[in-house]
Amino acid sequence: MRSLRHRAIVGGLVWAALSIAIGGVALFYFFDGITQRRFDALLLDRHLQVVVALSNSGVDEDAMNNMLTDAAYQRPYSGRYWQVSGADDAFLASRSLFDAFLDEQGTPDTRPQFWTGAGPEGRVRGVRQTVGLEDGSSWVVSVAESLATLDAERQQIRQSLLATFAFIGVLGIAGAVLQTSTVVRPLTKLREDVSHRWDSEESLEPKDYPEEVAPLVSDINTLLHRNREIVARGRRQAADLAHAVKTPSAIMRNELDALSMKQINVVQAMQALDRVDAQLMRSLARVRAGNSAASTHTQTNLSNSVDRMARLFRSMPATSFIELQSSVTPDLNVPMDAQDLEEVLGNLLENAFKWALTKVKISCSVSGSDIHVTIEDDGPGIPEIDRREALRSGGRLDVSTPGTGLGLAIAADLLQSYGGSLNLEQSNDLGGLQVLIVVPSKRGLGQDVDAGED
Amino acid sequence: MRILIAEDEIVLCEQIKRVLTSEGHAVDVVHDGEEAAFLGSTEPYDMIVLDIGLPKKDGISVLKEWRSQANDTHVLILTARDGWSDRVDGLDAGADDYMTKPFHMPELSARVRAILRRKSGVTNPVFAKGSIEFDTRTGRVLDGGFLVDLTSQEVAVLSYLVHNLGRLVSRTELSEHIYEYDRDRDSNTIAVFVTRLRKKLGSNFIKTVRGRGYMIDED
Repeated sequence: MRSLRHRAIVGGLVWAALSIAIGGVALFYFFDGITQRRFDALLLDRHLQVVVALSNSGVDEDAMNNMLTDAAYQRPYSGRYWQVSGADDAFLASRSLFDAFLDEQGTPDTRPQFWTGAGPEGRVRGVRQTVGLEDGSSWVVSVAESLATLDAERQQIRQSLLATFAFIGVLGIAGAVLQTSTVVRPLTKLREDVSHRWDSEESLEPKDYPEEVAPLVSDINTLLHRNREIVARGRRQAADLAHAVKTPSAIMRNELDALSMKQINVVQAMQALDRVDAQLMRSLARVRAGNSAASTHTQTNLSNSVDRMARLFRSMPATSFIELQSSVTPDLNVPMDAQDLEEVLGNLLENAFKWALTKVKISCSVSGSDIHVTIEDDGPGIPEIDRREALRSGGRLDVSTPGTGLGLAIAADLLQSYGGSLNLEQSNDLGGLQVLIVVPSKRGLGQDVDAGED
Repeated sequence: MRILIAEDEIVLCEQIKRVLTSEGHAVDVVHDGEEAAFLGSTEPYDMIVLDIGLPKKDGISVLKEWRSQANDTHVLILTARDGWSDRVDGLDAGADDYMTKPFHMPELSARVRAILRRKSGVTNPVFAKGSIEFDTRTGRVLDGGFLVDLTSQEVAVLSYLVHNLGRLVSRTELSEHIYEYDRDRDSNTIAVFVTRLRKKLGSNFIKTVRGRGYMIDED
């Protein structure tokens, strides 16, 4: 689904464009009408001037030309014309008509008639009227004006409107973006707050948000609380189950050890117990992956978790002699719960320390929208043909003992619950196994582990 | 050496006690956190095996309490919690080692020995002085290659002195480290054990400083 910001901006733009278009057209027609009416009123004024000149001049063309002093009437094809025609082919016209005449269509009337037609140079609009003089003669008086003037005026109005609306449009877009950002800001803050509050186990404050968002904040508080409970309960149940089963398992193992010391053959029983322990370990790991905090948007500082793990492995006599090189960016956060991230790192580092001869290296990088964490060792590595088997869910339980690849599969399950992945490669630098962890830096909601079936 | 086991599962507790006792250690057991906190604070243990999931008070809280009291007794955490964060938290709380259940008993006793050796600065599990060889792993003593027959109390006295090489150890201290909590501690019997050890290992093997205690020289 498109983002709210995208929707609001696109919606605002469409609405602004529609409003501007409708407003622009309406305003243009409004001003066009005014221009047209003003043009026609001017024509009527000029027509009246010609009628007055006709009456006062005694129907004399030269006298009329002297009376109608407008320079445009004197210049040939200037675009402004008058013409008077009477009975017996009597014909008087402005000098601007030169050798042409106004080609009027239809029958003249005693009321002013507007017309549009061809002029000497381009189209013209005119008004004509049949007028009677005191001497009883009747004359058709026409006045015309080139439409070029009207068109130029219309063009000017159009350009002015366009510039004005373009400016209004830009203001509208900026306003839409600004308004959207302002409206969406509380939601952005909400998202960040949810992530931080998960870590600090605090509730969100509805009064910190606009009243429209406040009810949602209260609902999120309830969900956060419930989510914490679910994750905590899942972990507690896994821990209780582990305690309930592992302690009796330890007792049985010790009894078998004691019998073995007495030369009693307990090999098969011990192997069966090994399988039970391995299955239990794997099942508990799956319960854990199923209860991972993958949907909580929590962030964990990678460097801090790596430091904690390094401290642990350095303190173990079995691994303290192996050098751990860490080149992890101090401020890089991984979108995983701290316990889950350390479970992944711990299993992978344990595996690396187990096989390394002298050195283990951990590094990280950001590639596009993914965070890459690489753990390498200088041990024998895993042949390419066996790598898929090493990661296969439950695939090794019948053929191996705990610790021989189970950690890789557990880490892979946990990463999968976060939408991440785990790839096994050969280290170019150290020559042993290179485990590449890929975690998306931004997770979608609802990603869950596919625990699979044995 | 005197060891405290704090574990709520009684059968498992007895199994561990049996093995550690057979190696010559004096072992006390408690089954809840409050008892563990009390004994760990009041008795001079050489090390403590501590479960995290103890009733009444969890193991991590007990450990933090000891550390806050400047009690630096070595602690091995033995727990069903196998999460990596739990392990780091355990070590950060002041544990010296961390083992998860289920475990192999030989590994547990090896780690216990390693911690005791680390505590006393002894690196070699087999202590040799002259013709005498004392294997701290089995409690066996050889004199010129021949097995010397020692009682468990004699092994306990020898083990404590070997783990405190070059240091004068009083009778009281010895009795505190070779007897369990509920045993009658008669420091006079220590003199009897030392006399017997001298008879079996040679009169110069253990040095006596009259009125102050006993010592095995480092050289």
